[in-house]
Amino acid sequence: MHAIADPDGALAQWRARALDFERAVGRIVLGQERVIRLLTIAVFARGHVLLEGDVGVGKTTLLRALARAIGGAYERVEGTIDLMPADLVYDARVGEDGRPRVDPGPLLRRGPELSVFFFNEINRARPQVHAMLLRLMAERTVSAFGREYIFPFLQVFADRNRVEREETFELPAAARDRFFMEVQVKAPEDFAARRALVFDPRFHDTDLLIAEVPEAIIDYRSLDQVSREIQSAIPASDAIVAYTIALWDAIRTPDKAGIALPGVRMDRLVQGGASPRGMSYLIRAARVRAWLEGRAIIVPEDLRAVFPEVMAHRIFFDPVYEMRREEISADLCRVAFATVPAP
Amino acid sequence: MHWSRSLPAVRPCRRAALALVVALLAGAPAQAAGVDLYAPRAFGYLIGDTISLEAVVTLDAGWRLDESALPRPRPVTYWLDLKRLDVKPETAPDGAPRYRLTLTYQTFYSPLEPRALDIPAVPLAAHKGDARQTLTIPAWTFVSSPLRELVASQRGNPMALQPDIRPRPYPLAGDARLAAAAAAVAAVSLLAFAAASGWGPFAGRHRPFATALRHMRRLPDLDTQLGYEDALQFLHRAFDDAAGYRLFGEDVHAFLAARPALTGEAETIDRFFTASRLAFFGDAPETAMALLPPEALIDLARRLAATERRSSIQNEAA
Repeated sequence: MHAIADPDGALAQWRARALDFERAVGRIVLGQERVIRLLTIAVFARGHVLLEGDVGVGKTTLLRALARAIGGAYERVEGTIDLMPADLVYDARVGEDGRPRVDPGPLLRRGPELSVFFFNEINRARPQVHAMLLRLMAERTVSAFGREYIFPFLQVFADRNRVEREETFELPAAARDRFFMEVQVKAPEDFAARRALVFDPRFHDTDLLIAEVPEAIIDYRSLDQVSREIQSAIPASDAIVAYTIALWDAIRTPDKAGIALPGVRMDRLVQGGASPRGMSYLIRAARVRAWLEGRAIIVPEDLRAVFPEVMAHRIFFDPVYEMRREEISADLCRVAFATVPAP
Repeated sequence: MHWSRSLPAVRPCRRAALALVVALLAGAPAQAAGVDLYAPRAFGYLIGDTISLEAVVTLDAGWRLDESALPRPRPVTYWLDLKRLDVKPETAPDGAPRYRLTLTYQTFYSPLEPRALDIPAVPLAAHKGDARQTLTIPAWTFVSSPLRELVASQRGNPMALQPDIRPRPYPLAGDARLAAAAAAVAAVSLLAFAAASGWGPFAGRHRPFATALRHMRRLPDLDTQLGYEDALQFLHRAFDDAAGYRLFGEDVHAFLAARPALTGEAETIDRFFTASRLAFFGDAPETAMALLPPEALIDLARRLAATERRSSIQNEAA
């Protein structure tokens, strides 16, 4: 009934492929349906994602499976405290002939075909690396060997370890705002999934597991075009515009919206953030979610489904509450949706 | 205290003034100034008793009593204290200035037998411009009696400390009635407040669907798009209220699963959320009105209100 106008159209076919893609990744990574759905939304909204989670919950496996299903090249870099931008761009070594050689580094090695670049432990890298990454995310270009390298299909995934804080560089607010989503990856709750992950030998060899994913279910070269079509095919009604603005106000001035959290002074909680860029990302994500659900309209449920991941990391709290950030931002998002009336 | 107002005891000044009037006949200014003393009984006083004398000082027009010349509370003699002096200016019926002085004395005289004691006269002064005039509150005599026998007529030491006076029962019935009335008012107020706040047994009285139905029936233009959207919103708010949060279409199944009383309405409620989605977010109010006509919407609200009356579909946590 809300289906996209032409059921045989290109967007409907793309939707079938997107669902295939989700299922294929879901067979490899168990119990992470929500994370997979969010990553699918990010892929079709062409946004960069920051993953945050415990060690060993399958973030890398998930990204490798995703890269294989998208097709194109995949590169991975480990963030360390002495990593410099040049280490990403150049590969300096002693050649077979005993002479020093400078070859293209991990970022340039695969050329413009690079579709997924995974930066592991981004908060271990220095601010110089963050700055280069910011440019890479915003412009999809890098300067090296005296010229510009362009990566038209690039999507950056980064991972932040939240267990250790020593010898790390916190990402600046501007860098966090550039990320389309910040996704929390937790160990699966489901008993069957946990049993399979621990006892089924199929999940023990990651390389063999990844090989099960069919290659290039969706073509990475078409993603930009599909993304544009999705954004223009799904209109926003007056009611959803009013609802989004009310939601935005509620997040920026929660005390005026009547939101109260226990033990928090609401008039001082939110210092800033919830940028217009963030809100536009929110609508972009909501459109992709509506499309994935087979709807041609945005409904409040779409906003709610992507809101914490798209918005929470863009809201800046009073320093007093910054230490309890995770708990408070989750509560704030939940209570905002329980308070703002829709429609 | 028993107070008997005697006739003016002494009026020497007035008598003198009268004599002057008689002597000078007419023509001379009338000297009507005088002091009237009103005293209580002149006998039966014991050590420690207080005696209040009231002196009414009448002056001629234009004259003022000299307040600085008034006696101050002080020991008058070794056995007599002036405890208090109150001055109340008045106007006599003929317009002359008049002062009502109340002097409270306390006697500490311990006589061995009944004995007359004198409270000495008190001089007063009045002035009119530079002219001055003296007046006197006359002395007053009373009989003071001993507190005990001089020689013990019965066994025991007359000097021994006497027992305290036994407490008398205090009449409490009036206070008890007042307290009971106040308690009743407090209880009624508490009940009214509880009903207004929906506490305890009044909690079940909150019926969001009944309220929504009432609002929807008052809508004049239910058949138009705007009226229909208003009606949808009223029912949405009732669902929000019943759930305790903003209920979206995707939450309906969980909402219904927790409320078996509504299972029969599941299909219509689903249709309501679909219609609302079309009307508000799909920009297709005609399709919505075809899917769930206004009459069916009112009908759904009526059935929900009836279900709500029979069994609570309110969220307990809300």
